[in-house]
Amino acid sequence: MRVLAVLDGTSDAAERRARALGDFLSDGLTGDSCHETLVVYHDQRDRERLVALAPTRDLRLIRVPARRPDGVVESLTAAARATDAGLFLFPGDDAGTELAARLAARTGGAVLTQALSVEAAADRLICRRNVYSAHMVGRYDLSGSPSCVTTDASWDGAGWAPPAEHRVVADTDESAGADKPAFDDVELLEHPAASDLAESRFLVVAGNGAGTREGVDRIERAARRMGAEFGVTRPVAMSALAPLDRLIGVSGARSAPALCVTAGAYGAPAFFWGIEKAGFIVAITIDEAAPIAGNADAVVIDDAVSVVEELAEIVVAARRRG
Amino acid sequence: MPLSREAIVEGLQSIVGPDAVVTDERILIESSVDNFRKLQNIFDVHTMPVPAAIVLPKDTQQVAEILRFADKNLVNVIPRTGATATEGGLESAVADSVIIDGSAMNKVVSIDAYNMQATAQCGVPLQVLEDLAREQGLTTGHSPQSKPVAHMGGLVATRSIGQFSTLYGGIEDMVVGLEAVFPGGQVTRIKNVPRRAAGPDIRHVVIGNEGALCFITEVTVKLFPYFPENNAFLGWTLKDMKTGFEVLRDVMVNGYKPSVARVYDPGDAGLHFSHFTAEDDCVLLFMAEGTAGIAKATVEGIAEIVAQHPECTPVDSAYIETWFNDLCWDASKITAEDERIRQTRNVNRTTEISADWSSINDIYQTAKARILAEIPDITMMGGHSSHSYINGTNMYFNYFFNVVGVGPEEETDKYYLPIIGIICEETLKRGGSIVHHHGIGKARAPWIKDEYGSSYYVLETLKKAFDPNGVMNVGTIFPK
Amino acid sequence: MRILASFKITPDYEALRPADWTADAADGPETRYVRRILNCFDESALELALRLTEALDGHAVAAELGALSIGGPEADGHLKTLQALGYRRTTRVDAGAALDFAPGVSAALIAAFVRRVDRSDLLLLGSRSGPGDSGIVPFLVAERLGWPCLPQVTDVEALPNGRVRATSAADDGLVRATLRLPCVLAVGNAAVSHLRVPTLTQRLACRDRPLDVVGAAALEVDVAAGLLREAGPASLEVIDRSRPGVVVGGATPREKAQALYEEHLKPLLEML
Repeated sequence: MRVLAVLDGTSDAAERRARALGDFLSDGLTGDSCHETLVVYHDQRDRERLVALAPTRDLRLIRVPARRPDGVVESLTAAARATDAGLFLFPGDDAGTELAARLAARTGGAVLTQALSVEAAADRLICRRNVYSAHMVGRYDLSGSPSCVTTDASWDGAGWAPPAEHRVVADTDESAGADKPAFDDVELLEHPAASDLAESRFLVVAGNGAGTREGVDRIERAARRMGAEFGVTRPVAMSALAPLDRLIGVSGARSAPALCVTAGAYGAPAFFWGIEKAGFIVAITIDEAAPIAGNADAVVIDDAVSVVEELAEIVVAARRRG
Repeated sequence: MPLSREAIVEGLQSIVGPDAVVTDERILIESSVDNFRKLQNIFDVHTMPVPAAIVLPKDTQQVAEILRFADKNLVNVIPRTGATATEGGLESAVADSVIIDGSAMNKVVSIDAYNMQATAQCGVPLQVLEDLAREQGLTTGHSPQSKPVAHMGGLVATRSIGQFSTLYGGIEDMVVGLEAVFPGGQVTRIKNVPRRAAGPDIRHVVIGNEGALCFITEVTVKLFPYFPENNAFLGWTLKDMKTGFEVLRDVMVNGYKPSVARVYDPGDAGLHFSHFTAEDDCVLLFMAEGTAGIAKATVEGIAEIVAQHPECTPVDSAYIETWFNDLCWDASKITAEDERIRQTRNVNRTTEISADWSSINDIYQTAKARILAEIPDITMMGGHSSHSYINGTNMYFNYFFNVVGVGPEEETDKYYLPIIGIICEETLKRGGSIVHHHGIGKARAPWIKDEYGSSYYVLETLKKAFDPNGVMNVGTIFPK
Repeated sequence: MRILASFKITPDYEALRPADWTADAADGPETRYVRRILNCFDESALELALRLTEALDGHAVAAELGALSIGGPEADGHLKTLQALGYRRTTRVDAGAALDFAPGVSAALIAAFVRRVDRSDLLLLGSRSGPGDSGIVPFLVAERLGWPCLPQVTDVEALPNGRVRATSAADDGLVRATLRLPCVLAVGNAAVSHLRVPTLTQRLACRDRPLDVVGAAALEVDVAAGLLREAGPASLEVIDRSRPGVVVGGATPREKAQALYEEHLKPLLEML
């Protein structure tokens, strides 16, 4: 099966997208397939950088008319008609999701988002993805022509590097065309949330067991004292006890730290998915029946705020002793 | 000459040490209210006098010294443990009050499986005691919705009742003995005996005193065997609350003791059961527990009684069981509800009363009709009966309203107190009690004389005798 | 401006107990006994739509508000609530089948409703919903309608000239854009997360107003064919995410923290 990985280079997120694609191609996609990257860009100055990032050796460059999904989708649709690609692979971010959905609709193909894995069988793609807020994993048989699949956010390419050599097998310019923006006066208010959460090596997550805003603040202070990053579970964020950009879980950030300490988190799958690749998980909870207790390496049954603060004291003292 | 805040703090620190005296302004402000004026904390608008300090005694001796200090210097004290009170009992009604917080006295003293008694200090959370009992196949039988958060001292001080009271009784049936300290520093221990007739039952001076007479430092409660494997659930829908009350009466009069016996009116049922009820459905539900024989007989007996009322349609017991498993408060539900209130200004309040079988439906119908007619911005008005006796039952009015046109600190004056007033009036008219189990607090203190009539003499004499200087929780039970 | 907000009612999956998610639940867990709830992102969409309509009140371009849900009678209570809150148009599309894992069919029904029946020009709906969590319905609807779609919308406001501006927290960061209608707004983690509550008086005023119920056939959408194309998961499994769960001993928080550090964390922390 021919697989076309779509690297959308029309925004600053290209490197993150390349990683996701590269990681998935090397470890998430199995079965008989050959891979190429479709590099989509607008600004000529981005060409060289994007070629270097491409997750496969062979790549096709397409210059598109504008920085908006429509132009990209049109080019992809044309590429789908021109090639015999059975699978278009996209990173699982918002742009990738939109491209996959629209491309599938335009070509009459199939779409599946947040794939944990894809196996290319003779006549179909066997895909696995989380369902029921990550309580279960579903196995889907996809036989669209083409199939448009996005990667699960767990494919983040940490430790992946692009191939040393690249070969441009096609280079087209489809940038002529009316530049009709979808929205007016587009203003960037804030850059994307710092990847401090996603890339943390030591993470402390406060859950509802923190009780109050004061409890959440105390856990954060203790986390920072230990040099850890700080995140929260969805109930904490939605009760306005912490900002939404601290959210960890399916509707927020995902992290694979070497050490993750959860303080007062219940451990709902939608949250746990956000930390499940952590090296070592400590759960501090008053509730020994909470799901997190069964999914952690070490469990402390006690008040989360008190234990985290005591731990911070111990860690800081140990560091001072050198 | 009243003591200054600084002098109060110094006096307390000399008794318990500085670490056990909280003077953080933020914490003191938030402690000036309880759930009665919870909107003040939710919206950060505060109007009540600010306490001078919160003191956390570590033993009975310290409690005695604190009370002696307060009595001598005329400092108002507010006893508190889990802080889940809903009726203003924990509000500071006067300036420079001292909150005596028993949370540091949190030892489970003993669990005696042979004599079926457990002793705990006032600051032990009920959930902790219950979990320890369960480890030995026992239960306290006490399960108010506040169980995860409430402590033993407060539960006894407010004459609390739990979800399983129809079988196990209210806290007054569970308390065996206790220890309490009175304003002059007098420590009194009431010993643990199964029953006695050695004069009046003085436990009842302490149980329900809401901190207006003494500070409870330790309690002993009964234990019961725990047979969760025999738990059985029953449910029906019906159209008429009157029928629901009739069924409850029949069940009680015939001697059955289900642990849970409730009837929900359509408004309240809609909040919980809309996935299997019609808009005009009431819900009747029961839970039976105990040995296999008892649970079975209870379930069969109740089913037979309900069968006499063909207008009741059975529902799959799995609905009732699933709903029941999710009923208790926990910290997450409370903070989520606070945020919902902040965003929508829609507030949920409750008022519970009790009356005999002849009066209860009348009280329910009349109070509900008056509230709908007289109070603006109501978004839900309903209720349920959840604690029945051979001679009557309670009615737990449950209602929601939007706070419109006034600041959150005026919610009590514009909506909550007028509604409480209507319910109290209609209840008193028909000889019922204006408060079944939440405590009088300060919210319903204005009606205390009407509630007691001539027997108020007994209540006020207790106050004069035990708290002659009026330092125990001014405004609670006895209006300021 | 004709605004349409679309919402979904689902079982409260989080009210199920861990034991309900067993490997035996090959067709998904038994959800008959748990209550139904409004999808949280849709709830934000419904409240944002109300606030937008209020803000546009009195402008030259006034807004009219409609609500749509695809599903069975479990949505009717919410539609009546929305009537009481001022939603003029309240419609349920009965697909005749569960569309839990068929975002394409859901999108076809929504788009058909918008184009053939409602003629709305601003559609708000949650960016994803369970149990499928595909996240593609807004994009598929936009594609069918030929409209742009702004993802992960966190807020919507009315501008003085009657135009509408939305904030989006998507890949490129927090972005604000002025909308060109018609368009789709896919609502994400908005700070506004609760729908306001109507009074009984408001409910009484619309008690006899009927809800519109439309079948898939009337919208010329072949649900059966759509479900054949979108078969959903062929199988479901529960993943074992369990770890040793060694309980750390100690009598106080301090002792437990100490034991945790000594027995488990020391070498790890030294490395970090």
